Amino acid sequence: MKTLVRSLLLASVVGSAATSAAAQGLVIDGVAGYQDLTRSRNSAKAIFDGKSGGLTYGGGLGFELGNGLFVSAWFRNFSKDGERVFVENPGGPVFRLGHPLNLKVQPLQATVGYRFASGSAVSPYIGGGGGVTRVEESSTVGGVTDKSRQTKGSFHALVGVVIGRGSLSFGAEAMYLSAKDTAGFGGVSAVYDENDIGGFSAVGKVRFRFGH
Amino acid sequence: MKRLPLALALSAVLLPSVSRADDAGLRAVQLRAPSPLASYKAGEVIVKFQTTASQSHEERMLRDAGGLRARQAPYGGHYVVSLDAGVAVEDAVARFRSMPEVEYAEPNAVFHAAFNPNDNLYRFQWNLELIGAPRSWDIQKGKTDVAIAVVDTGIAYEDFGVYRRAPDWGNRAFLQGHDFVNGDDHANDDDNHGTHVASTIGEATDNGEGVAGLAFDCALMPVKVLDSNGLGFLSDVAAGIDYAINFTQNGTHPVKVINMSLGSNAPSETLRRAVERAEAAGVVVVAASGNDGESRVDYPAAFPTVIGVGAVDQRRIKTPYSNWGPELDLVAPGGDFSRDDNNDGDPDMILQQTFSHNTAVREGRYDDFGYFYFEGTSQAAPHVAAAAAMLISQGITSPSAVRKALYDSAQDLGAGGRDDRYGFGLVRPAEALKGLGFNH
Repeated sequence: MKTLVRSLLLASVVGSAATSAAAQGLVIDGVAGYQDLTRSRNSAKAIFDGKSGGLTYGGGLGFELGNGLFVSAWFRNFSKDGERVFVENPGGPVFRLGHPLNLKVQPLQATVGYRFASGSAVSPYIGGGGGVTRVEESSTVGGVTDKSRQTKGSFHALVGVVIGRGSLSFGAEAMYLSAKDTAGFGGVSAVYDENDIGGFSAVGKVRFRFGH
Repeated sequence: MKRLPLALALSAVLLPSVSRADDAGLRAVQLRAPSPLASYKAGEVIVKFQTTASQSHEERMLRDAGGLRARQAPYGGHYVVSLDAGVAVEDAVARFRSMPEVEYAEPNAVFHAAFNPNDNLYRFQWNLELIGAPRSWDIQKGKTDVAIAVVDTGIAYEDFGVYRRAPDWGNRAFLQGHDFVNGDDHANDDDNHGTHVASTIGEATDNGEGVAGLAFDCALMPVKVLDSNGLGFLSDVAAGIDYAINFTQNGTHPVKVINMSLGSNAPSETLRRAVERAEAAGVVVVAASGNDGESRVDYPAAFPTVIGVGAVDQRRIKTPYSNWGPELDLVAPGGDFSRDDNNDGDPDMILQQTFSHNTAVREGRYDDFGYFYFEGTSQAAPHVAAAAAMLISQGITSPSAVRKALYDSAQDLGAGGRDDRYGFGLVRPAEALKGLGFNH
């Protein structure tokens, strides 16, 4: 939360002092990259055969307010197949049981941010915000599939850079997402005492700006 | 040399063989609903309208929600609705549920027939139903490379001399055992206890005759340490444990579980060290708590690395004879001669194959096989040994992890949490076999 507040404050201060006068406009973007379940790293590594993350993709809709500030709403989807396991204790071995499992993490968030040097060919930005994160887990044991879904509030902070000045531009973004109480109430996440399915992600971005 | 007898936990009550040839071929098929979000039939939903909705209104609502055609069930009044191509089941359900005239709407869920063995006397095995065996078999039936050593009075496993192989082993292969009472490699049962115990673990199942075993695809090893009176000596029991854990076949140690439906109230150092060697060798040891109805758990069940098993009846209530105490870990069906809570006309005891003890004593014949009701913690322990073998077959290979999986998945009985009368509760192999997902 401290990171988020700091980011928003910085965006506000820098925004009010900004001298650049970029035009207002609607922006859509698509992203793809790597999502690490950093806050539930041990649980993820247990069910994903030693890997703590995987592919994420998504998209968003934003609006540039004209003074470097922007707002956006976006969605991402992380979906990875693993298997059910047994773990006796946090330091113990992971016994793989072969029952297929799929975990989905789907944050839907709103961001307020600030773009430095708007209108330049290389334009870094920072932002932060909140929303909800949906977690869905399904696994099939002995021919019977069980699913569970839950949605919890979450927040994020991000930094990125946009490269290009035209309608079509590209970028990269790093983000930290926190979604507390989305884990830790059962399964391996309870064994490892991990209650947040969030973490860091790094994505590439394709961005289209209308009305440039 | 003074030999200290071990008091065998053998309050096995022998009843006449139950012969029910007319039950041959009996097959029960259970239908169970999967979980609410489990798989369902594509292109169909089930809808029930409020009784106030008119026929024409119902038809309009069916069309509006994407229904192509519908048939109304003769009982219950609900419709089975076939959807237009391209209409997702979830969308259609959501549309129906948004209509105030709809009482309920749901996907046409796929039901799943659990594995139910066709053994003709299976319906008398309330004990297997009690621990959820059919669901367990959907997940795991055991693997042939996982062996359970039955350290007991031997097993009727071969035709050798006066001994005969029990009929309901199917084509099961037994690992080479050992007879520590008579000092040879033919661990045949001359009492009938060990055969009954072994049958709970691995009697031939789904072969149309007799009864079922729990981990019927696992291998069995007979290790005879008790004589024809069910008595044995500490030295032989310890030797039997060491034989099982050191046995090799094709360069591997196939014995992963030892069942000991026996016990003594003597906390032997020799025995403690033997079960510790088993633990170090990666072998799960399961033992009966004892049949004295006292607040003490027999050895080896009382040792920390041994899963001590007490007995419950068909109501999941501790049986009067089952020993209890702080060392008790789990309970399993052991039966109660005095009860028939499932009203099947037979006492609620454990039905498995073995031979008549009376015929063996009177005539020296070990071929008078039948299906006999026994009760005791001796009968409870092999349920847990079989569950342990199923877990190992599924991939949980360390003894401490097997114990934790069994304890965590047990059905809590008695006082909340672990208690001295029920331990962690009733063994539930299916729950243990599920393992852990991310959150569930």
